[in-house]
Amino acid sequence: MSDKNYSLYFYSTISLFVALLLQITPVFGSTAYWRPQFLLLVVSYWLLKKQRQYGIAFAWLAGMLFDIFSGHMLGRHAITFSFCAYILILLNKRFYHFGLLSQAFLVFLLVLLNQLLLASISLLYRTDWNIVMLIAPAITSALIWPLLSLLMNRLPKGGRLNQDNLFEDQG
Amino acid sequence: MRNLFSSSPSYARRMLFLSVIAGILLLVDTTTQWLKPARSWIAELTIPIFSVALLPRWVNEAVNEFADAANLEEESELQEVELLILKARLQQMADLSVENSRLRTLLNATEILQHSVLVAELIGVSPDPLSHTIIINRGKNYKVFEGQAVLDADGLMGQVIEVYSTSSKVLLISDSSHALPVQVLRNGMRSIAEGCGDFRHLALRYVSTIADIKVGDQLVSSGLGGRYPAGYPVGIVASVDTISGNPYFAVDIKPSAQIDQSRYLLLVSQTVEKFGASKNVR
Repeated sequence: MSDKNYSLYFYSTISLFVALLLQITPVFGSTAYWRPQFLLLVVSYWLLKKQRQYGIAFAWLAGMLFDIFSGHMLGRHAITFSFCAYILILLNKRFYHFGLLSQAFLVFLLVLLNQLLLASISLLYRTDWNIVMLIAPAITSALIWPLLSLLMNRLPKGGRLNQDNLFEDQG
Repeated sequence: MRNLFSSSPSYARRMLFLSVIAGILLLVDTTTQWLKPARSWIAELTIPIFSVALLPRWVNEAVNEFADAANLEEESELQEVELLILKARLQQMADLSVENSRLRTLLNATEILQHSVLVAELIGVSPDPLSHTIIINRGKNYKVFEGQAVLDADGLMGQVIEVYSTSSKVLLISDSSHALPVQVLRNGMRSIAEGCGDFRHLALRYVSTIADIKVGDQLVSSGLGGRYPAGYPVGIVASVDTISGNPYFAVDIKPSAQIDQSRYLLLVSQTVEKFGASKNVR
């Protein structure tokens, strides 16, 4: 069991790292607004898949990591990620029953929620948020979710993100 | 086996607890300077990962350079010609600066500013589209200081806002929290150029509709804020629009610096050189 856990942690760390890289790779101009929330997506994936191992603290840590790299307002992604993780955990059991399309729609709502929270936190200090910044990452994240979950389901030892795992993981 | 449909209240509590911790951190970070030392070493830790994230860009550049290798000879010839022209201009400049200093002594101005530059390389870019900050590879080890102006080959780019031991963080002039004093080169009209969160645009606020400003005017830093050295190109007026009902022009400026492209930057430091009698009139 512990061996399996090690490889699980290995893959989740690697995927987080890759997501972080995708998140911080410089994109200039207005395309930067359209960058999907890779980190949040990967966190959601692991949260949905292995709820026993990954909880709110995991999302919080990932958010903190993001904040460290974005270099200002330390802690705001930690707040939004942990809230999103909480919502995901509440939705967890329902999420399995959805097809990829409905999952994508839920991801859209989740990222939108994340952006709204981020905006409301940022609004304490700056006022230049606009509607594109709220919606654009949500759209691209939703588009990329099916691809990402299919890809990550292929990880060795991964199993699949579906109902089969529900009982196995919680047993 | 856990009950499938029981809602666990501990999740809410855990979420609230962690959010409160993050919230406190956020408050401390945005309102105080207590986290500054921690930030410094965090910045050091993030550099390697930033450089990995920048790899695709460098590879792209390297490939381009490799493709251009064929034109290398031609290019070097061109550069030689350019160098010659620039050298000729520099000679003229030397003459002018001597003349300038002579005139300044006549005017009883006591000091002349000399600008020395330090070359730095960009090593990281903020992932947040709202915060236009970059990380450069010079820090305390090269005596970089807070407020130091950063240029690229074409114009003013930003200022250093945080200095770490081997790197520092630069706030770009396009950040929406940034404003810098400028003047129109043609007639010396002063104004403030504000960033608007877009790398290709700056804006002049509160330019009266009777002000003498035209499309194509060159703007240079006026040095009035005391942060930026005077006389460095900031941008060119791209459009001047009147908005009905508004007593001010909407002036759009195209920055001279390649804010989103430049990889090698210059850090300017002013050294004040006193000369002449110091009986200046105040």
